[in-house]
Amino acid sequence: MAVDINFEDVSENFRRISLSGRLDILGTDSIELKFTSLAVATQRRVVVDLTAISFLASIGIRALISNAKALQQRGGKMVLFVGDNASIIKTLETTGIDTLIPVVTDAALADTIALA
Amino acid sequence: MTPFADNSIAELSIRAETVEVRRASAWLEQASLDRGVPPEEIARIELCLNEALANVISHSGNEVLSSPISLQFQVHRDQSANAATLMVSDSGTPFDPFSISPQPRPKTLAEAEPGGLGLLMMRNLADKASYRYLDGRNQITFSVHWAEGQ
Repeated sequence: MAVDINFEDVSENFRRISLSGRLDILGTDSIELKFTSLAVATQRRVVVDLTAISFLASIGIRALISNAKALQQRGGKMVLFVGDNASIIKTLETTGIDTLIPVVTDAALADTIALA
Repeated sequence: MTPFADNSIAELSIRAETVEVRRASAWLEQASLDRGVPPEEIARIELCLNEALANVISHSGNEVLSSPISLQFQVHRDQSANAATLMVSDSGTPFDPFSISPQPRPKTLAEAEPGGLGLLMMRNLADKASYRYLDGRNQITFSVHWAEGQ
């Protein structure tokens, strides 16, 4: 299963990026460059929609962390929107990533936190 | 007798290549479903498998290419608990991943560094994990447990 990546520009500096599929080794390799090019820009606020991710391995989490960090260094911010995707929430909690990047179950709240 | 009384050992051999990881995942998911493992436990042991294979493929040197990675999966049931156990065996450089002390968790995103997450996931997602080196092969074994009716 390929990973699909799509984005929507809500405003000049606010972008939603949606990922779907398996973020395992192959899946992450297939989207990593595009994800970085879409996510990382000066002052950009990004909500990453993970509600359609079916599998999240450590390599996928590393991609989220490195891009969130790069975005923060450029004055931007990343928020992870997970909805009711219980397996992804558990994986993020297991690795403690939810303490480093905001992980939000509500779409409107994800937007609010990203823009705060 | 429970509807899932299959305690046979499922086995698969794969090459030490990243393209094989998905085949291994699909095999493990099907073997787990066939044996009545609950979805949450399938997710946990599948993540352990992926992290173990990623570790083997990335860090086991050229020796790992000399023979296939062997996977064995079995479900044990008794009246009080059930366990799904997966063994990953490879011919790579001897290495006990559980001998590495866990890194302190970063407190901020700025402090976060890549690396160590796979080991953290294996430690935290498995209910039991062990390593031994036997007959020239690394053997990592994971178990996930659940109560009947779960």
